[in-house]
This record gives sequence, structure tokens and C-alpha cells, in this order.
Amino acid sequence: MLFREDEVARFEAKAVRENAGWYRWTHDLVEVAGPDAEGFLDWMLVNRIADTPEGRGKYTTMLDERGEIIDDLVAFNRGGGTWWLSTLYGPHAVRWFDAHKEGYDVTYEDITQAWDMYAVQGPNSAKVMEVLLDEPVDGLKRFQIAENRVDDIGVAVDRGGFTGELGYEIYCRREDSIAVAGAIAAAAVQFDAPRLTTLEVYVRSLPMEKGLALRQDYKGLTPYEANLGWSVHLDKDFLGKDALAAVHEAGEKRAFVGLEIGRASYEDIAQKEIIRKRGVPCGYVTQMIYGYTVDRNIGFGVVDAEKCPVGTRVTIGPNDSPAIVVEPKWC
Amino acid sequence: MALLEHVGTHRGVETAFGKIIPEKEAYSYCLRTIAAFSANIFQVMRILNDSWEDRTEAITEIANMMNCAACAGGEDELFQYLNAFYDDWNIPELVKRSAWIGAIWGDYGDEAEDMAGRVIQFTEHRVEKELDTCPWDIVGSEMCNMTTGMFTANFDIAAGGEHGKITNDVQLNMCEARGCGNPHCRVVAERLDHFGLERQGWLDHRGQAHAPVHDTPPERRVKHGQGLRNGQYVQAFGEENPLEWQYRWVAQMGWVWSVSFPLIAIRDMAEDDDEFERILKTVFATAGKNSFIDFFAREGLRNWLEIPREIGDDDPRVMGAYISAVLGCQLVPFEWEAFDGEGVEIRVNQETFTGRFEMAPLDEITLGYEAQWNGACHTLVSPEWSVWIDEDDDDFIITVGRKIDDRAL
Repeated sequence: MLFREDEVARFEAKAVRENAGWYRWTHDLVEVAGPDAEGFLDWMLVNRIADTPEGRGKYTTMLDERGEIIDDLVAFNRGGGTWWLSTLYGPHAVRWFDAHKEGYDVTYEDITQAWDMYAVQGPNSAKVMEVLLDEPVDGLKRFQIAENRVDDIGVAVDRGGFTGELGYEIYCRREDSIAVAGAIAAAAVQFDAPRLTTLEVYVRSLPMEKGLALRQDYKGLTPYEANLGWSVHLDKDFLGKDALAAVHEAGEKRAFVGLEIGRASYEDIAQKEIIRKRGVPCGYVTQMIYGYTVDRNIGFGVVDAEKCPVGTRVTIGPNDSPAIVVEPKWC
Repeated sequence: MALLEHVGTHRGVETAFGKIIPEKEAYSYCLRTIAAFSANIFQVMRILNDSWEDRTEAITEIANMMNCAACAGGEDELFQYLNAFYDDWNIPELVKRSAWIGAIWGDYGDEAEDMAGRVIQFTEHRVEKELDTCPWDIVGSEMCNMTTGMFTANFDIAAGGEHGKITNDVQLNMCEARGCGNPHCRVVAERLDHFGLERQGWLDHRGQAHAPVHDTPPERRVKHGQGLRNGQYVQAFGEENPLEWQYRWVAQMGWVWSVSFPLIAIRDMAEDDDEFERILKTVFATAGKNSFIDFFAREGLRNWLEIPREIGDDDPRVMGAYISAVLGCQLVPFEWEAFDGEGVEIRVNQETFTGRFEMAPLDEITLGYEAQWNGACHTLVSPEWSVWIDEDDDDFIITVGRKIDDRAL
């Protein structure tokens, strides 16, 4: 929960939007390997994974048999038939793979405890990285991952992040984490780039302003309802495809939207708070946060697609906070 | 549009007269009955020990130790226990979960207990939780200190601290409490190193926060937790528990922290078991009598349970219906053995009745409710009628019957 008057949070958000900031951003990592790894991932994930070049990654969702999202992740081709899946739900993914691996010669392991990850984000993040790393990274393309070094420590660096700004993610071994964090801090201070300490700023506020959602926002939706239809490849087979195609053909009943509330704060609005149109339930909030770049309380929601087009006036929660349905991206 | 085939199916507790108490109402009532039981137990404690400091220290220490004991064992077991928790609740690495597991852990418990509010701040150095409601507000300030001190164990566990000692790096304070007259309950966890703080002792958990608090304005406060508002609780990282799960959790765990843990210390405050049980029965009997001293309380109960007018005031079925509503809302299965104008008999399994949380059975539930219901029966029905509980193999028989007791309490 963030508020307009939180000057620490505002400072951290502003740093990422206008300069750079860094923070520990360790995701769960599932390593997938084996002769059938590509085929297996192509079956498990909606995006076309098999043609991902070595050293590159792709964003994708993973569906259940009903064609509904159970995870969203980035799949990196680490070369040599090995893949890294960057997710917030590693143990869930492993269990899901256990249930669907039959017929595939594939291995997978949750390697989260072996790797830490730091994010450096903001328009000046490349400058921080240039000081930090042995090899330049300004040539990296989005979701491209490459080996590099921080002093004498081997790391992997990808161009990516969750703020909508230019940014990089640094993977290092757990035993090297403190040294790497120290090196990042030393490089960042040269550009007045702070370490972010307010979780909600980098998990929710900065991403939401740019329309970036978490799996918890998408869970249970189809990729089409979640505005992620671009990542779906119906011309290949994947788990949940038939159900997804059928639902898509019938037309999406729900819409993933943005919400703006008119009141100064949103303390009474939790996740899954009910959205009402003229007093009648028509959807739910997935999360709400204060956006310091746009200076307003913003949120994501799932609503009845037909009844609540953009521009619809609604109320949210137990105290009937007035809100308006908007596109789910603010800047 | 064609007619429906039948009316909708809604979950609830059926009363003796066929009325359905809706699930949400039953859940709220369950909470409050456990809180009332706890309040009575704390009265017993205050009779046994007249020092706020002594008794608070005793119950806080034992509650902390018991909370630690939940994951007692070797390092591997603790690791597995924590990983299972992280997995269940999907607490990702990026939140520095070992440091703040207590904050996340506490939030779902609060919401399940309908202590409704919000995590206002969640940073690397500080977590602030504000509660607008607290069904346990009748228990007293010892409880506020105890629960806060109890939760330091969650921080200790995650930090790998020594069981039973405050070894974590956080100060945890309930700096406001609704039961003490504040508009909110407010629990703040602040890192010792960041704020330059000292480690706390058992009595130190009601201090003030060291950074400014956020005070939610009255118009944005909530009256109930997410479960009652929206049908489920959603944890910060999106994991959900339905109302049904929360209700069951409370029906088990509500007894553990609010009754079972403090009772360990409270029993030790008595000279012997006889003294403890004598005082316990006296307190519960008084509480029961006072429940229905007012005519409008009796009328209210009749209205709530929809007791037919042909069943008069001096009828054991009124009391039987009340007891069955308590049992039903507390998710205790029971069978009617008798339900007529001559008396009421209700059969419950002993282990279920006393062991709401199987690992921590409470004989005090039987002692307390027997005294409380007997006292209540004297004002709800009449002094001609009493309530007593007999053992019958593995069961208890709760009887509402006529009894003359020359030494009635």
C-alpha cells in the first residue's frame, strides 16, 4: 500500500523514471534440460519457444487444461539445450511439469536457491552497468542474456526488468551475492542511483504505471482476456490450446482493465475487492497502488467485458469508492 | 427465461427449528464465541495473579515458546517447514522472505480472525499493519502484548534463532489496540539496525512505533475482513484462501493461540488443579448467567433462532437450541438424542469437542462450557433447568434437564 505523501517511495520511483535505481529482484528459476527440452516447453507454453535463439528469452504464459493462465514467465535459451524459466512460482511450475512430462525426455530443477538476482533500472542504468561490468551491455537486445563479470565474479546479465524503463538484471551465484551487491552499490553511487527499499514501488507501482501486471493479476484469465493474445500461437500445439481456442471463438466475456479511483487514498480496497456498476457486481480488483509518475491511485481489474467498457463509472469496495474504467496503462 | 428448477443452495448452519444461519454469520459468531471463551479464561488469570506485569510476561513467554515449537526439530526440518510455508503462500525470494515472513504470516491469521485492516507499509526496514476491527477486543491488553510477543517467534523461526529467545533483528509493537480504546489496532515491525533499537523483553511489545504511522481516515475503514467482504482472502502475492478455508482455520486455530497457549501459563498460576478449576467454573458460570439477564437478550435469541412461540420461555428446548447453535457455528458435529419439553440431550464426540485442534485438546472447553451453559440456562430458561455434561464411552452427552442442586453456584 502506497500513499501520495510517502516521500521515500516517491523518491525511489522518481529515481527509476528519471535516473536509475537498483534492488534485489530474485525470481524463482527453473532450469530445464534434456533432448526434448524445447519440445516440452513448446507444449507447456503458449509462445513459440523452439525458435528462440541461444542467449535470448521470450515472455509467455502457461495455461491449464481450461486455457486459463496459471503462470507467466520469461524462458531464456541458455545454450546447450538448457533453458532458464524466470517465474515467481518455481515450485508450482515443477509440480505442473511433473504432471505433464510423460513422453518427454526432459529434466527440470528449481535452482532458485543457487542464484540471486539484482535489477538495475532506469534511463541511466546502462551507465551504471558500464562501470559495473567487464563487458559492455549497451548492445544487448530486450530479453537477451549474456555472460559477463563483476570484478572477478562470473554473472549472467539480461536486458529486461519490470519497470517499463531501460534496465538490466544481473544473475549471480548465491555465494557471490553480497560481493555483487556491494559492487552494484559502488557503481550506482557514482550516478546517484539509490538502492530501492520500498517493495511496493518496484513490485507494483512502477510496473503498473507502464501496464505491467503480475501473474496474480492474470491468474484464471485467458491470454486473450489478459490482452496477451499477441503471445499465443494457435498454429502450434500447447497445453490448453483447444479450450482456449473454443473460448476465444465464442468471444471474451471478461476484460482486463485499468481503474482509477477518485478519492485520495484506497485503504479499504484489497485484492479481489468487488467492483460494482450502479450497485451491481460486475468484476473485481486485482491490485491497486499509488503511481508517483502519474500522481494518482491506479489499479488493475477484471470486469464484465460487455457491461464495463473503458469510460464506465463504477464503485469499488465496502465504502463504494467511485472509480472509472480506463485502459490498463498510464504512461 | 425459464423458471429455476429449485432455489439456490447456500451453505449455513441449521438451527433446531430449521432456520439456516448463513455461513458468513455463523463464521462471525464462531469467532466471537471463541473470543468470549478467551475473555473468560483471562478473567480466571486475573483472579489468580493480580500483577499485570507478571501475568503478561508469563503468557507472552509461553505463547512465544509454543509458537516456536510449531516447527521444533532439526535444522532440516525447520528448512522444510519454512519452504513449505513459502510455497503454500508463494512468498517469493524478492521480498527478502526470511526477514519478513512474520508480517506475511500474521496477515492471513488476522484476516481469518476477522481482524480486518491492511498492511500499510511493507519495506525492507519496516512493516506496519493497521486493523479496523478486532473480535478479540473483549479479552484485554495482556492479550495484545501476548500475541505481538508470540509473533516474534515467526521472525525468530525464519531467522533461524534459538527457540524461546528473542533473537531476531526486529522490534514488534502493538502500539495501538482497539481493546484499549484506540480507533485501530496497529502492529509495527521495525528493524533494530535501521532504527537503532534495542531488542525487546517480554513486556515490551506495546511500545510506540519509531517512524510515523499512517492513520486511515474513518470513511475508509472496513467493518470486516476480506473473507466476509469478498468471499476469500488474497495474500499480498496473490495466493487465495476461500472463506470456507478461513472459517475452518479459525474453528481450529482460534482456540490454540487465544486459549490453549495462555492456559499453559494460567494453570501454573494456581496452587493446584482444584483451585484453578474452582475459579474457572465460577467465572464461566457468572458469564453464562449474565448472558441472558436482560429480557431483550432472551427475546433476541428467540428471534435469531426463530424459536416458535408455542415453545414457551420455561422450556429446555430454548437452551438446547442455543447450545446447538454454538456447536454448529463452531463446526462441532453433534447428534440429537432428545429434544422435547422433558429435556434435551446432545451427543458429541469427546475428542472433537475438546480437540478443536487435534494436537492441542483442551479439557477446559468442557469445564468452561458446562459451567457457562448451566449459568445461562438459569436465566435463559429458568433455575428449574440445568445443563450438565456426562461421558458416554467416547462421547459426551450434553443434557438440559431438571436438577435440584442445594449448593448451586
